[in-house]
Amino acid sequence: MACAIDVRQLSKLYNGGIKALDGLDLRVKAAKVFAFLGPNGSGKTTLMRILTTQIRPTSGSAYIFGLDTVKSGQEIRKIIGYVPQETSVWLDISGYENLLIYSKIYGVPSKMREKRIQDTLQSMGIEEVADRMVKSYSGGMVRRLEIACALLVGPRILFLDEPTIGLDPSARKAVWENLISFKQEYGTTVFFNTHYMDEADLYSDEIAIIDKGRIVKSGTASELKQSLRSEIIQVYSHDRIGGRVLESIRDLAFVQGVIDNNSHLEIIVGDSETRLPLILDLLRGEGISLERICTAKPTLDDVFLNYAGAIHLKCREEEERGSKPVQA
Amino acid sequence: MALSDSIREMFAMIELEIRRLRHDRTEIYTRAVQPILWLGIFGTIMGRVNAIPTGGLPYIDYITPGVLLQSTIFVSVFYGLTIVWERETGILKRLLVAPTSIYATVIGRSVASGVRAVVQALIIFPVAILLGVKFISNPFYIAAAFIILFLVSGGFAAISILVASIMKTRERFMGLGQALIMPLFFASNALYPVELMPSALQMFAVLNPLTYAVDAVRGLMISGELSKLSIDLLAILIFDVVVFTLASLSFRKIIE
Repeated sequence: MACAIDVRQLSKLYNGGIKALDGLDLRVKAAKVFAFLGPNGSGKTTLMRILTTQIRPTSGSAYIFGLDTVKSGQEIRKIIGYVPQETSVWLDISGYENLLIYSKIYGVPSKMREKRIQDTLQSMGIEEVADRMVKSYSGGMVRRLEIACALLVGPRILFLDEPTIGLDPSARKAVWENLISFKQEYGTTVFFNTHYMDEADLYSDEIAIIDKGRIVKSGTASELKQSLRSEIIQVYSHDRIGGRVLESIRDLAFVQGVIDNNSHLEIIVGDSETRLPLILDLLRGEGISLERICTAKPTLDDVFLNYAGAIHLKCREEEERGSKPVQA
Repeated sequence: MALSDSIREMFAMIELEIRRLRHDRTEIYTRAVQPILWLGIFGTIMGRVNAIPTGGLPYIDYITPGVLLQSTIFVSVFYGLTIVWERETGILKRLLVAPTSIYATVIGRSVASGVRAVVQALIIFPVAILLGVKFISNPFYIAAAFIILFLVSGGFAAISILVASIMKTRERFMGLGQALIMPLFFASNALYPVELMPSALQMFAVLNPLTYAVDAVRGLMISGELSKLSIDLLAILIFDVVVFTLASLSFRKIIE
């Protein structure tokens, strides 16, 4: 499969000695949705600005569909769509007029212009507000209009910098659903930066996590979650579990660790769904009367914190009750 | 980048400006107040004194070209504020990621500002007639004068874009915008002949593009004296080429 983005040993040193990217390597396959995660200041926006030919790298190279971002900027600009983090439409004209001006700037042939504009308005679900002034739009509508402007030319790859920042959950959902259906129809590669783990989880085919200018982990959302290899089974019982029973749980081959919290036991396993019945059998066999059991699967948040921050694995229920998160 | 692409992009920029104006003309009307005061009050009162040699022209007629130019240049110089705003939002980033040439973007925006400036002048023009200014009746001369207004304000819009790419923030830009216009206005032949100025200021007036613009517009609109028109035109064209080039060269820096 063709490589939409191919980045090799990319470094960017800003004036003043800030190292934004530090020998970054990255490949993104064509026609995939790729989520790029990282803490603030990790180099996400810098990478996007290099890929969209806004700035040059200090060393290393980056290719978009085989075109060098430094040498072939003009060719790249013809095949990419880009939505910056900040508002990028004119507020004092209508949504339709924004699309019209962008289509002229991008050189969409006049015969196709009207159809393209109507198509993108429709695919982003904003045809009804097209004739309203953009300043009367909600945040979600503005964002969908911006994406519509970027889709107007039928880009081979779409770059979105924090596409849903500051939007309410229903607006975020609307942005993504429209975007994904457009992507499925046209096979556009989508590359986006985000802080929202749930978006990366739900909508991306692949994810890379960046920290301090380097990729620290990449893969699909489930690969990343599995890579943590630890889920917790919490067992609350009427009887105190201790001594021999505790030892026999520890002796189970699949148990990675047991933490005795007095009030409950925390059993760390690779996969709680298949292991839970075995643990239940053992406890019942020992005549232990169980009060409650809960399991915690790692979320993408845990993955993110593990690779780009502190290590946490939380039991959701415990978190709601306000007790301390458990160290895995 | 083919020439036709660049021209197409410039027209898109002009269209953008016209569409914005269609939606909201408040700025054009409020900006007309100041030049009307210059003509109606300053021009009328100074005209009674008869202290300035105008070559036989009524004083208000004499200053009309300068006031028209000043008001169009105001529009152009503050066009940079639009650019600063577009920098603060993501519009400029997006334009620079479009398959367009920087020259076409900068010249297109400057020319678009020139269009806005001409609309401004068209508001003041009938007011000047009402105030008794006698324009030359030949419509070709008047049209030619408006073309010069357009060329000069395009050039000043380019200066404004250049300043915006260096200053980058609204506050710094505002200060410089104010500091630019009045000295240019006073160090030109807009309100009085260059010969009346102290010699140091005369040297500055010779380098001031506004001097040539005022001379050409005055010749075409009011006096009919066109002996220096070719020199004036040449000076304006050189000015435009220089500022368009400088602004284009600096423009990419604006998003860094």
